[in-house]
Amino acid sequence: MQLPLLASTFVTVFLAELGDKTQLTIVTISGTTTKPAAVFLGSSAALVLASLLGAFAGGSLSSLIPADALQLAASAGFLLIGIRLLVRAGREDS
Amino acid sequence: MTDDSTALDTASESGERADGKEPMEATKTVAPAAGPADPTLLAIILTTFTTVFLAELGDKTQLAALLLAAESGRPLLVFTGAALALICSSLAGVLLGRWLATVLPPQRLERISGALMVSLGLWLGAQAGIGLINP
Repeated sequence: MQLPLLASTFVTVFLAELGDKTQLTIVTISGTTTKPAAVFLGSSAALVLASLLGAFAGGSLSSLIPADALQLAASAGFLLIGIRLLVRAGREDS
Repeated sequence: MTDDSTALDTASESGERADGKEPMEATKTVAPAAGPADPTLLAIILTTFTTVFLAELGDKTQLAALLLAAESGRPLLVFTGAALALICSSLAGVLLGRWLATVLPPQRLERISGALMVSLGLWLGAQAGIGLINP
């Protein structure tokens, strides 16, 4: 058993993730929906798949798809969610 | 206007009667009324998945940390540790969101969340755009 490696990976990734934009997204989506289980399912699946690609593909993935292009696509997702929330809040106002 | 008020009166009366006689039926009629306003279960899962996946995959610090750990030559163990940590952090995020929903009024939470997401999107987009132009 390589428990130290498992534990150090867990602690490193967990601490890096706290307060990260990913977790902020999860907090906002879960806080404004009635189905938190769906949010947990979706985010967990995404994170597990991302770490699977990260652990096995490693550097070869980032040379294949530039990280900036992925970030640009993610920023579009953030904008979409944000605008939808603001529109919903505005609609409840009137 | 008078028609509306009478319609409301009869509706509330029948609602009270239903409540008094059969509480189960009353809750049943409430649930579908709240349903259509919300996006579907699949839509929530897909939105969350896509955004989180793209944001996480493009995260350079995350990639660097995993790459460093992967140099140990045990990718399965690294994957297990990282996956467990990410599931825990996403659970913490969901629980924090639910707690905020009980503390803040929904409209205020929507406004704060919306502003946060828009500014995060603009900041992230600007950074990625600069990175793409000047690699």
